[in-house]
Amino acid sequence: MSDLPTGGLAIETHGLTKRFGERAAIDGVDLRVPLGSAFGFLGPNGAGKTTMIRTLLGLTRASAGTMSILGHPVPAERATALERVGAIVEEPRFHTHLSGRENLRIVAAVRGPEVRERIGPALARVGLSERAEDKVKGYSLGMRQRLGVARCLLADPRLLILDEPTNGLDPGGIQEFRHMIREMVEQEGRTVFISSHLLDEVERICDAAAIVDRGRIVTQGAISELAAGAGAGAGAELLLGVEDTELALATLSASHLVREVHPAEDGLRVVLAGAPDTAAALNAVLVGAGVGVMRLEPVRHSLEQRFLEITSRLDEPAARAEAQA
Amino acid sequence: MNATIAAQMTAADFLKLRKKRGSVIWALVLALAPLLIYFIVSAAQHSSNPAQHAPAGGINGFTDGIRIIALFFGPLAAILIGAEGGAGDAASGVFRDLVVTGRSRLALFATRVPAALALVWIVTAFAYALLVLGTFAFADGTPTPSASTILNGLGFSLLSTGVVAAVAVGLAALTTSRPAALTVLIGWQLVASPVLASINSLGSSRKLILSEAIVHFSPVHVNDRGGTVAMSQGLAVLVIAVWLLVFLALGAWRTRTMDA
Repeated sequence: MSDLPTGGLAIETHGLTKRFGERAAIDGVDLRVPLGSAFGFLGPNGAGKTTMIRTLLGLTRASAGTMSILGHPVPAERATALERVGAIVEEPRFHTHLSGRENLRIVAAVRGPEVRERIGPALARVGLSERAEDKVKGYSLGMRQRLGVARCLLADPRLLILDEPTNGLDPGGIQEFRHMIREMVEQEGRTVFISSHLLDEVERICDAAAIVDRGRIVTQGAISELAAGAGAGAGAELLLGVEDTELALATLSASHLVREVHPAEDGLRVVLAGAPDTAAALNAVLVGAGVGVMRLEPVRHSLEQRFLEITSRLDEPAARAEAQA
Repeated sequence: MNATIAAQMTAADFLKLRKKRGSVIWALVLALAPLLIYFIVSAAQHSSNPAQHAPAGGINGFTDGIRIIALFFGPLAAILIGAEGGAGDAASGVFRDLVVTGRSRLALFATRVPAALALVWIVTAFAYALLVLGTFAFADGTPTPSASTILNGLGFSLLSTGVVAAVAVGLAALTTSRPAALTVLIGWQLVASPVLASINSLGSSRKLILSEAIVHFSPVHVNDRGGTVAMSQGLAVLVIAVWLLVFLALGAWRTRTMDA
């Protein structure tokens, strides 16, 4: 992998649009996927994730916009761009009357003479060596997913594009898959682009993500940045553990530092009126009122919360305008 | 795409086809069983009443066998294999996985044709071997075809089944549906072509019928329907070439432009 350019982009699109009649499945998408990262493409069902992947790979033609893969403009240099790209689009499909190894032989033949020697290692890597001679019609969905990954590995890919890759995997398989993806990124320097509607999956595997809804990229950035943005519009939140809940509730309700306060399962949930650093002042207020504070911790927002905030607010005209801006 | 990759891709397409056991078995049954039945029935008739029934082999048996292999059941076997070759990748959903390798779609289409031809010609060769065996085994002292007639008959059978297979590959790639291609081609081959060829009022337009052009190259007189459409050898070549070009071009166009 030493020939990997550093600091560049594995995927870059500008104004990428795909229309089916009047409906825009993807609409003016500007996407930047850094090289050497695991990048999540996150969105609800029907958001345009698969159409985006199909357009990038040349399975369907873009209606407008430009795109490049591994630095090569597509479709102008599509063949060169895809030489080192492995992809699973929707569920992996195979000739079910052939064995796993034979299916890989077919793709190896299409990719080039040097690829055939990668079949054995690819099967071994996904744990299918022992079932390689079995016909694919006897494979479980999880085994087909793994065979799909093996097929991707035949390209010795700089970039892997995986569409809902953990579908059909059992919990053990999902864990193995996560490990394999992280290994590819961290040890082999590959870029992995994962489309998913499973927020937890993306949060665990990916370094960065884009959230897509109704064909548009709503936001993109590092996972930590995206998650940190959750709740930003509503102010910072704290969880308080106090000795006297009634007194604390009354004190905080009267304080100008607090926008909202609600009893929570194990104390109080407070939405601050100001910046997060007002937490210290809030503590002083409570102590001054004679309330013993046992615990004071910031609420950690998840990517899921951020995702739900964004996608649910998109129905509101103001939020839609903000997202478009 | 260089020659090595083209050969590898053709071999891969051939692998897909030959491992499709159902299609291969049916193609063999179509190519061999009618011939076998013909020889068994004719031999039985001849042995029971030699004065009334000619021997199953000899020139007569050879001519009937050529008709079976090259004009009727052989082309059916070719349609079966050609349709599988043309639509197999799309039907299984694997086409998109081949497209994402970056290999040109035209290359993906082009290698299907020699792969289908290879399998069709193997099946045809088996049937032809059976025909030659029966021709001599059941000649019962009657004249047998010369070596050149036998070789010409082989060439004619390969031409007929090969052209039909290539047309089937093109049509199946165009429709991306094996059942649709099978229905259209079998209907054309078994029903429409013979009916249209026998309608004298259609005149010289019948020269456009593929099977009529192919018959022109038969080394023996196989068309005894009485409605033979006469045409020059040059026109027969042209008609066959047009059929091939049109269907292969349509198949290639569809493969190149369709959403995968």
